[in-house]
Amino acid sequence: MDYGYATTSYGAQGGNDGGGFMPGSQNDSPNAKRSYGKDTLRPVTIKQLLDATHPNADAEYFLVDGSEMTQVTFVGQIRNISTQTTNVTYKLDDGTGTIEVKVWIDAEALNNPDDPANQKSKLTDQAYARVYGRLKAFNNKRHVGANIIRPVQDYNEVQYHLLEATAVHLHFSRGPPGGADARSGANGMANGGYAQQQQNGHSASGSNVPSHLSPAAKKVFQCLSTSLQTNEGLHMQDIATRTGMEVNEVMRAGEDLLNEGLVYTTVDDHTWAVLQM
Amino acid sequence: MSEITPRVTQPYLGHFTGKVVRILGKVSELQGDTASIDAGGNIALHLNREAHLTLNHAVEVIGKVQGDDSVRVMAATDFGPQGDFNAVEAVVDATHRYHEIFYNKD
Repeated sequence: MDYGYATTSYGAQGGNDGGGFMPGSQNDSPNAKRSYGKDTLRPVTIKQLLDATHPNADAEYFLVDGSEMTQVTFVGQIRNISTQTTNVTYKLDDGTGTIEVKVWIDAEALNNPDDPANQKSKLTDQAYARVYGRLKAFNNKRHVGANIIRPVQDYNEVQYHLLEATAVHLHFSRGPPGGADARSGANGMANGGYAQQQQNGHSASGSNVPSHLSPAAKKVFQCLSTSLQTNEGLHMQDIATRTGMEVNEVMRAGEDLLNEGLVYTTVDDHTWAVLQM
Repeated sequence: MSEITPRVTQPYLGHFTGKVVRILGKVSELQGDTASIDAGGNIALHLNREAHLTLNHAVEVIGKVQGDDSVRVMAATDFGPQGDFNAVEAVVDATHRYHEIFYNKD
């Protein structure tokens, strides 16, 4: 039988030697490369690329607003195109500065007229282009090694990009919108808008309990979301005292809320805290 | 051509006299080598030979602001008949409010 054969052969090889993988064999590369899990794609202005700090000459990343920047994207107007044997260098200008963008030529794709890379609309001098790539420093000169450069077809993309870059810049320099770190949250049109959204979000989590919940569950949830508490939340006895409900009534209500995913247990099964979205 | 060209609209011109700026507006008048665009207000343009403007199209102009708030055009890019000018206003507002990522104030 197949089954018997398999067991025999497995036994003959010996369980300990059979495995191809040794524990930890994946991790034994010396000076492990930076994890790609940390990679981000950040919308930036060219001025930000020129102002970015380089922690040291060999570092693979730059710092902008104190946070790591690896992949970047930006929009700019092409001021010059120079085609070399191995790459095409574009000089891009977005009104905040100029920077060179290098795109490696894929010789195989170039010689094949059917390749999709040759079907794309051409990038022309003075046209706007969108770039995705990585900021590089070479001989104290910065350029962007681009994965993709494509023409901008809808000019609203230019405005969109600059506003997105501003929003991300504000996120890193002043903290997330509406958050505790948001200094001067009220000034600035964009910031004001965010703060408002955040407030709406908060009131929603406070009062917009699903309507199908029992009145008891609603009462417990209301108590949990409004009472002063530590991050351990409140014990059901405590809730019972605060709301004047029976303990077993609170317990059933709490289970309903747990099932709805509105609260979670903390130090024990009967201490709950509101799940903040 | 200047490396940094802040985006402005008409009300900002007074602060940028003698500087090179970038203006996105709608062509409202064309007369030989002068033109008018609407960008948060009316702006008179002195065109160069290479500038090709189309009436009612959006145009992005790079030029030098003159003493009388008119602009001497160095380059013009046609942006076509469509475009969201509210977005343009928002970009100009952000440019000056958060100028640290757009240009250096002197």
